[in-house]
This record gives sequence, structure tokens and C-alpha cells, in this order.
Amino acid sequence: MSGGAGQKVILLVEDNPDDEALAIRALKRHHISNEIVVAHDGVEALDYLFGTGLYEGRDVNIKPTVILLDLKLPRINGLEVLRRLREDDRTKLLPVVVLTTSSEEQDLLNSYSLGCNSYIRKPVDFVQFSEAIRQLGMYWLLMNEPPPN
Amino acid sequence: MDAAFWDKIRTYCRDEAAFENCQQMLLQELHPLEEAARNADFQLERHKALLHVITRLREPIDLEEIFQATAIEIRQLLAVDRVGMFRFHPDSGWDDGEFVSEDVDPEFSSAIAEPVHDHCFGDQFAVHYQAGRIQAVADIYDAGLSDCHIQVLAQFQVRANLVVPLLLGQNLWGLLCIHHCRGPRQWDPTEIEFVTQIAGHLGVALYHAELMVELRREILDRQQAEQRAHNLNQELRQAIVELKAVNKELEAFSYSVSHDLRAPLRSIDGFSQALLEDCLEHLDSNGRDYLQRIRAASQRMGQLIDDLLMLSRVTRSDLRRDAVDLSYLANQLCWDLQQIDPSRSINCVIQSNVVTQGDPLLLRVMMENLLSNAWKFTSKQPQALIEFGAMRLAEVNRPELNWAIDSTSPEQLVYFVRDNGVGFDMVYVDKLFQPFQRLHRINEFPGNGVGLATVQRVVRRHGGRVWAEGHLNQGATFYFTLMEGIEES
Repeated sequence: MSGGAGQKVILLVEDNPDDEALAIRALKRHHISNEIVVAHDGVEALDYLFGTGLYEGRDVNIKPTVILLDLKLPRINGLEVLRRLREDDRTKLLPVVVLTTSSEEQDLLNSYSLGCNSYIRKPVDFVQFSEAIRQLGMYWLLMNEPPPN
Repeated sequence: MDAAFWDKIRTYCRDEAAFENCQQMLLQELHPLEEAARNADFQLERHKALLHVITRLREPIDLEEIFQATAIEIRQLLAVDRVGMFRFHPDSGWDDGEFVSEDVDPEFSSAIAEPVHDHCFGDQFAVHYQAGRIQAVADIYDAGLSDCHIQVLAQFQVRANLVVPLLLGQNLWGLLCIHHCRGPRQWDPTEIEFVTQIAGHLGVALYHAELMVELRREILDRQQAEQRAHNLNQELRQAIVELKAVNKELEAFSYSVSHDLRAPLRSIDGFSQALLEDCLEHLDSNGRDYLQRIRAASQRMGQLIDDLLMLSRVTRSDLRRDAVDLSYLANQLCWDLQQIDPSRSINCVIQSNVVTQGDPLLLRVMMENLLSNAWKFTSKQPQALIEFGAMRLAEVNRPELNWAIDSTSPEQLVYFVRDNGVGFDMVYVDKLFQPFQRLHRINEFPGNGVGLATVQRVVRRHGGRVWAEGHLNQGATFYFTLMEGIEES
């Protein structure tokens, strides 16, 4: 993938390699061929978005079309990532889908308070999970009009 | 009158006869005056002594000091050999007692701490003393006293005595004893009156001392009670701190269960499915069956974790209190169940306008569990029936079940969910509400046995009780009460 301006990128923030593999598998099986950038924790996610650290010098004008954000992450957790990218003018409008294991009330409340666009709880049943990923991809990549760059 | 005075008088008289007449007349006039002067002196001394005693009584000093000072004061004024305060031993029937205070002439022995046993006193005189009797004896050997009385007095070398009761309220506490030992002595009415007055004041002192003792005891009791309350408070505070910590841990635990326990299950299920999709040609029917079983098991476990989390959430969450329309909830839930499984036709009979006070979310969880149970266990019925309603306790047709309820008011509202499904054997009724207890095989009726445990917790948090009634293949009824006043439990 070139990651060019016309290309819609998905940023998947996920520390669990199994979940990463399963999410990518689900996207591929549903023929969602967009570039998938995987950040393995909150630091990597912020580096990618702001062109720092690991992604020093990256063209930050190329923004992900949607961010699939897990909450429980090493180093910097998902809520903190959400808070920081909502604080920054460059990233405050990006669609963020919280994609996580829990449906604890505090997580839902915090995620929406910090301005997530959607909250999906990963089902154990892979068929359901795969279907959720398909719908997510369809919706955010094809149906939803992204904010102007 | 001194000689110089009479000499002066003599010079005014004509002769010796006139002087003698004059002397006679003057003596007659002067005698009562001197008598009156002596009396006035004594009265003055008496008042001084009384004033001393009363002044002391008003000072917050202890009884012993008051007695001692009073004894000294009386002995000085009356010029007697011994003044003693005698106290009866309580509960001895006035037979036994001892001198607790005295002032005695050094020539005579001390009466202090000499135990006195005088049976005839308790028998004969105590009642009179209690009524305020005073004994004034000029000579004990010449007053017709009984032998035993004389014996008691003789042991203290008494010859004349004046005894006034010391009363504590209406009770005879002891005696104020004035002893003369060196010989007989007449007791003047003014002396008797003086001693009686003193005894009266001592009675007041006794009363005050008793009040003081009571007050001290009360203060001590109160201090101890305050200390106990304080300790209890400390313990409570400690308990609250510990509870908060436990609650926090429980929160953290649930949170990590919620996150971490489901992730591996997703891997198990996901990669089993991946195998089924990618390696189908390498698997025989056994292999496929095994993978399906793995998937089914991981999904069951996922459901189990979810249900357990719901169970702990029911326990942890704060309780709200609103009006909750249970009829509306039941209708809504039955409709939802119908949507999930449109192939089944079920008659839902729901009493309207059953409204209670409680937590809307928790009551919803409770109704959901009860109704989906009813839904599940009627799945084999051609004519399934699910009922919801409320009745008064008096109308519950099995009154022996009322043990399950704290309040025995027949007006208490009892809610019920009834079905005509597979029912259960009453032998196992106690197991129904325990988590993970199932009364049916898993392939017969799916479920993990957490639902009714959750129902019980919701009901208990609302201060109510839940119980069940059923028969094999004849349906089941779940009854529950919800107290007006919600209690945490």
C-alpha cells in the first residue's frame, strides 16, 4: 500500500496480536482492501498521528479515515489517546470507533465523554465479530462522509 | 456581783437592814437577767456552731470531713465526752453497725471501728428512730433501759446519752450519738433542739453525698457509653474504609475480568472458525465436529462471563429509586422475546398497571431473567402460557410459604411470574437460586444457572424476598416482594 492521498487508511490500535490477526482477517475476508496501519499501544498510535517517534517525518496530512481504538493498551491507554487527539486541532475531527472487550459502564461513559464516534464491544463469537468488522468497514469507509481535510 | 459593787450600794443605804433589803431586791431583779444573759450566750454559741456546720456542709467536701468537723463543734459547745456518728450496715435490719466518725475526750476510749451488734435495737427501737424519735438519757443505769441496751452502751463507757436519728430521706441511715462518760448529765431542751437541728443538716449532707455518688456513677456510665460509642464509631469507620477498599478491588477485578478473560476466548473461537474456513479440506467430519464443539464451549464461557459480570454489577451498582412500571416492562420483554423467536406462539397474560418503587435498571434485569426463563422452559409446550401480576400476600395460595417474608402483613404485595412449562421438582427448590445450579441438562434447556441468582440479588437489594413453587411438567411460579423502603444488603 502506498498510503497516498486518495487512499483511505484504517488505523487499528490493538495490543493483542490474536485480535489484530482476527480483525485484519475479517476485513480481508469482506474484501476491505484499504491499508491497515497497526499501532500496538497508545504511544505508537500518537506517534503515527503526529509524526513523532517511530513515525518521525511521516506526512501527517495523510490521516486515517477511521481509527479502531482498543481501550486497554500498554504505556498509554486508549482513553488517553482519545483525549489527546481530541485536544489537537489536527486530529480532533477524526472518526474514532472504540473497539474493545468490555462494556463496563465507566468505559462507555468515559469514551463518549471524550468524544468517540462509536463504541463496539468485540463479541467472543468470531462470526459475529467478523460481521461487526464488515459493517464497520462498510459504514466508515464507504457510507460515512469524512470531515474535510 | 463583786464586793466593790455591794460596798458602793451600802454607802447609799441608811443602815444595814436597808442594805439587806436593797440587796435582796437587786438580787431578785438581777437573777433572771443573768440567766437570760447566759442563755443568750449559749444561743449565740449555738448559732455560731450551727453556722460553722452549715457553712461546711455547703462546701464540696466529703462526708467524712463534715462528720469530723461537726463532731468537734458539738463536743465543744455541749462540753461532753464523746460525739459519734454511728452508721447501720445496710441490709442488717438495724442490728449491726459501727461508728464511722467521732470526737472523743482523750480520757475515754475511741468507739471508731468497734462493730456493734445490738439485736434488741433493730427489733424495738429502729422503727421509732425512723419516725424521728430522740433518746435523751441522763443516767443509763436509772432509765429503765433493757440489759442488752445497757451492755452496748457500757462497752463505750457511756453514762448519759443523747441519741438523734440520722435520716437519709425516709430511711434510718444511722444515729448521731452524744455520750457523756464521766458521770450522769441532764440534757437541756435547747441542747436537744440544737442536736436535732444538726442531725437534720447532716441528713441533707447525706442526701447530697448520695446524689454525688449517683452523679459520679452516671458520669462514669456516660463516659463509658461515650467511649463505647466512640470505639464503635472507629470500628465502623474502619469497616467502611475496608469495605470501600474491597469494593474498589471488586471493581478492578470485574474490570479486568471483563477485559482480559474474554480476549483468549475470542482467539479460541476466531482461530477455530479460521480453521473451519481455511483448512476445511484437511478436516474429516470428526475434526469439524471438534472445532464446532470448541467454538460452542468458548461462546458458552463468554456468555457465562457476561452473566457473572451482570451478577456482580447488580451487587455493586448504586441503587436508584423511581417509580417502575413492571407491567410495561413485562409487555416489552415478552414482545422482544417474540421477535427473537417468531416461530413460537405464546400467550402472555400481563396484569396492567403494576407499578412499584425501585431501581429501573436492576428491576429490568430481574424481569428479563424471570421472563426469559419462563420463555425457555415453555419451549416444549404446544400451548405455552406466561403470566405476570401482583396479589396480596393473603391471596398467595400456599400460606406455608410465608416464612419467606419478613413482614407478615397480609396486605403485603407479592408479584409473580408463572408459566405452564416443564416445571421442577420441589425437592430441589433450595438449589434454584444458587449460582451455577441447573436442574436440567444443558442440551435440553441452555443456560448457566446464573439468572435466578441474579434475580435473588436484585430482590434482596430491594429489601424483598423471592421464592418459587413448581411441579414436574406442571409449570412453575416465581413470587417476589419488593419492600417500600429499599435496603442495602
